[in-house]
Amino acid sequence: MPPQLPHAEPGTPDTRGPLRYIWWLVRRQPWRVLRGGLIGTAWMLGLSARPYLVARAIDDGLRAADHRALLWWVAAIVVAGMALAYLGIMRHRTMTFVREDASARSAAVLLRHLSRIGAVLPRRLAAGEVATVGGADIIHTSAVLTMTGPGVGAVLAYVFVAFLLWSVSPLLAVFVLLGVPAVVLLVGPLLRRLERVESVYRHQQGLLTTRAADIVAGLRVLAGVGGRGLFARRYAARSQRLLAEGYRVGAVNSWIEALTIAIPGLFLAAVVWLAARMASAGDITIGQMVAVYGYVAVLIVPVWFLLEGGHQLIRGRVAARRIVALLNLRPDVAGPPSPVGGPPRPAPDGPADLHDPDTGLTVPAGRLLAVAADDPAESIALADRLGRFVASEVTWGGVPLTSIALDEVRARILVADHDSYLFAGTLREILHVRADLDDTDLRTALRTASAEDVVDAHPEGLAMPIGTRARTLSGGQRQRVRLARALLAEPDVLILVDPTSAVDAHTEARIAQRLHAARAERTTVVLTTSPLLLGQADLVAHLRHGRITAAGSHVELLEQEPSYRALVSRDNEVADADGSLR
Amino acid sequence: MSGLPVADRQVVRRAALGLVAVDRRAVAVMLVLHGAAAVAGLATPWLVGRIVDEVAAGAGVAAVDRLALAIGGCVLAHGLLTRYAQYTGHRFGERAVARLREGFVARTLDLPIAVVERAGTGELATRSSVDVTTVGSTVRDVVPVMVIASTQLTLLFGAIFLLHPLLGLVALSGLPSIVAVTRWYLRRARPAYLAEGAATAELTEALTTTAEGARTVEALRLGADRTAYGRQRIGRVWATRRATLALRSVFFPVVEASYALPIAVVLLFGGLLLDRGMVSLGEVVAAALYLQQAIEPLDRLLQWMEQAQRGLASFARVLGVGQQAEAAAAPRPRVPAPARSGRLVVRGARFSYADGPDVLHGIDLVVHPGERLAIVGPSGAGKSTLARLLAGIDVPREGVVSLDGVAVTDLDPAERRRRIALVTQEHHVFIGTLRDNLAFAAPDASDEQMRAALVAVSADWYADLPDGLDTQLGDGARELGAADAQQLALARLVLADPHTLILDEATAALDPTTARRTERALAAVVNGRTVIAIAHRLNTAHDADRVAVLEDGRITELGSHHELVRAGGAYAALWRSWHG
Repeated sequence: MPPQLPHAEPGTPDTRGPLRYIWWLVRRQPWRVLRGGLIGTAWMLGLSARPYLVARAIDDGLRAADHRALLWWVAAIVVAGMALAYLGIMRHRTMTFVREDASARSAAVLLRHLSRIGAVLPRRLAAGEVATVGGADIIHTSAVLTMTGPGVGAVLAYVFVAFLLWSVSPLLAVFVLLGVPAVVLLVGPLLRRLERVESVYRHQQGLLTTRAADIVAGLRVLAGVGGRGLFARRYAARSQRLLAEGYRVGAVNSWIEALTIAIPGLFLAAVVWLAARMASAGDITIGQMVAVYGYVAVLIVPVWFLLEGGHQLIRGRVAARRIVALLNLRPDVAGPPSPVGGPPRPAPDGPADLHDPDTGLTVPAGRLLAVAADDPAESIALADRLGRFVASEVTWGGVPLTSIALDEVRARILVADHDSYLFAGTLREILHVRADLDDTDLRTALRTASAEDVVDAHPEGLAMPIGTRARTLSGGQRQRVRLARALLAEPDVLILVDPTSAVDAHTEARIAQRLHAARAERTTVVLTTSPLLLGQADLVAHLRHGRITAAGSHVELLEQEPSYRALVSRDNEVADADGSLR
Repeated sequence: MSGLPVADRQVVRRAALGLVAVDRRAVAVMLVLHGAAAVAGLATPWLVGRIVDEVAAGAGVAAVDRLALAIGGCVLAHGLLTRYAQYTGHRFGERAVARLREGFVARTLDLPIAVVERAGTGELATRSSVDVTTVGSTVRDVVPVMVIASTQLTLLFGAIFLLHPLLGLVALSGLPSIVAVTRWYLRRARPAYLAEGAATAELTEALTTTAEGARTVEALRLGADRTAYGRQRIGRVWATRRATLALRSVFFPVVEASYALPIAVVLLFGGLLLDRGMVSLGEVVAAALYLQQAIEPLDRLLQWMEQAQRGLASFARVLGVGQQAEAAAAPRPRVPAPARSGRLVVRGARFSYADGPDVLHGIDLVVHPGERLAIVGPSGAGKSTLARLLAGIDVPREGVVSLDGVAVTDLDPAERRRRIALVTQEHHVFIGTLRDNLAFAAPDASDEQMRAALVAVSADWYADLPDGLDTQLGDGARELGAADAQQLALARLVLADPHTLILDEATAALDPTTARRTERALAAVVNGRTVIAIAHRLNTAHDADRVAVLEDGRITELGSHHELVRAGGAYAALWRSWHG
């Protein structure tokens, strides 16, 4: 039965360890795995049917020169071949379903976790790491599950053959029953060595992938300044180091391959030797001796499967460990999902003042406040505190922000970074940040952000496809699309960080006017030093050396505060910029 | 979003043969070792047959011991030969893969920047990780299996022909159906596996971008959206996987059922030949046993066919990136640059992104050596596009951009970059040391020159670095702020020393305070060079020698600041709005 993918609900993974995680993937589809085991067993047992039928055709048909019997046994061989083919494909299909179910589940839980974990993620993880986990590691982990079916079958087939051997000679049966665990014990330490070598190799491979991604990310810079040859050479040098590591892996790997052949082979030789001595002594017949050879040859398949299974288990465990590590990343303590001490306190019902004791800033409810900071780092830190991306003493309507449920804070207070991420999709999908938005809303927001040109320039309008990070748009266009998106979220409190830094003066003036009208009656904080935006604010605060040193209208501050004038006055800037062109 | 091409069959075949040809000796050694290993492997059943004969003839324990010892020797030889064959193959594979990924990165570095931007980094990242790795495991694991299996099959069928040519002929009776279904399968498998690979890449990209934009996901509560987007991708991956499974569901059973056919036919036909006394019973039995033995290598060949297909599909995707570079590079002859005077001329330039509408509608412009030209205009007017044309990054759809009479895109790229540098607001700090981050702009620069360059752009943060030029930057090591990173970019320019600088709002992404600091640094860089500055702040235009106003992809005004203000056009209006 094919699974229904994607899963409606992928479930909660067991992240206490890599093997527990794999076991969880099994438990989510027990019947499918069991069916795979049964079909796999039937298929593996069926493999021993053909030697039996061929032996009968030779004995009853050819040797006895009985054409009728020969025809019957030959027909049985053909039919058995078809049945075996049927079992084989059913095994493969079931195992593919098992694997795909596991892969889809891993991808779904990773995706869910990545979209929940939030701001802390980029600081903790290189992008290349996620690409490796999302690509190869999911596949390697799922591959372990495909061994479950044949694995069970291998064990059963093994017992079955041991039983057959017992009927021939208990001594031979004991030899086989003890011999195979010995084979596994011999190979075990070698496989563990492989795990160590392999994980070093994979780590280096991940680093190399990060380097390649770094080069890809910096291609624009290289196109502007040059130096491509140097980067190619440097990458090549790293690639050569990975090559040396690959040689070491190969040295171990090839010994394991050889032992996979030699150990079962030697074991078979020993069985044959024992049986032949017994036959020569007359303890068993020659027919039994040939049968023993045939049965043990059939055993090679399950033994091989078990060894291969160990191989895959090791690789899968390395991969699952990385998945589990990613799933165990937790959001910062600075933004606890449940409030510090006691149950969450309710957020203010309606518009309420935000207050930041660190700087002494009060954000008046329902007004447009602009904050001009001397140090840009301070304004970013302020936005992080007001939006609760870090722990702070900020209160909202008198209630400590950290005591309100984080989800409620995110729903009602939005910090719009000037470099917030733009995902791939159509413009409509990018702007569609709330369920109840229609195209009219989108166009209104685009107009407020003075971003109509983005839509107008494209024949498909709102359906225009935009790639990851909107690289095909100009810097100014990107910034205005981000602004439109932030407006469409319609938060109670909107905190805009440098929303117009990449926009020309003409457009900036237009945005400043429209923004004020669009956010009428609602709380808005603009962190900027642009006189055009500051001039449109209801109230301007000057942030200097970590404190609000002055507050009032833009004009008042220009007149009364020399340091404010020095910060925002364009005249000063002209003098500096002159230098830049001389 | 799959913006990168995939190599066709011919290119793939040529590249594969190339990889083998480069490493001929290793491949030959590997083939010989595998052949010897196969012979050692086939000796075991033959020796078992000998034991049967000897015991039946009443031989003693000594003969049995001798033959059993020979079996043990063959197994050991088989194992040892396999080990060295595998090791040789593995080393060859690692070398081939290293060559492949290095070539891949080299070609990626040669890609026209516009192509990279459209294709997305996730696509390139997937090709460089998943696909290169898949090709690697194919070369390391699959190719040896194919070699071993083919060797064994050749030996086995050869043995049956030696028993009796007629038996050999009927032994081939399973082949027609196998060959037919294999051809059917291989024709359909390639596109199906390519689709599977593309869908997988999209899923990886969904995961990667969700991680990159995690803060935005949290702030805008896009979690549900991202999950839904990813679910769609998971669904698409599943659809493509089911399509390939459907192909295998035909292929596998037909081939497996075909295994039984030749055994049955050989027994039946052998019975007839036996009646006529043309073969002995032993010969028929041997032929049947050899055929049974052929199942295992045939099956392995078949089992790995899928992986080989995957590998081939990945190989095509890896090579596809190179194809584009070749296609883009081929038609352009590299012209040696004329003497340095640096006169940039734009004639009738039109440009559009992909198949979109024109962004520039016939630009004519002459920039004289040593001139300071400011380009102003509203957002979206095409300023950045013009800058990219001037820097030779994009090629005009119509018209030409030339430097001293030579089209800039005809110049050798390295030479072009030495003469014209483009500085944008985007900056990138590469993973590596500070020295690494500077050296690529001027490989011959000494540490002294690097430090001087950092001083020139007033990068005072340099003093705080623990290890000076050897301080590690990026990827978990020290991260530079936007302003510091921009100063680093400017220090690169000081080292690269181009005669023409194109500044595309180089300080726009910075806050005004930092921008001012950076602009001061910029002043140190622009001295004595031709400067084309794209500016959204009019103060930049104010003191330029000339100002070009760009609106809707056309130059509407061109002249000095004072001329334009006197003319009372759009620029004058802008200037007034700026001054309030």
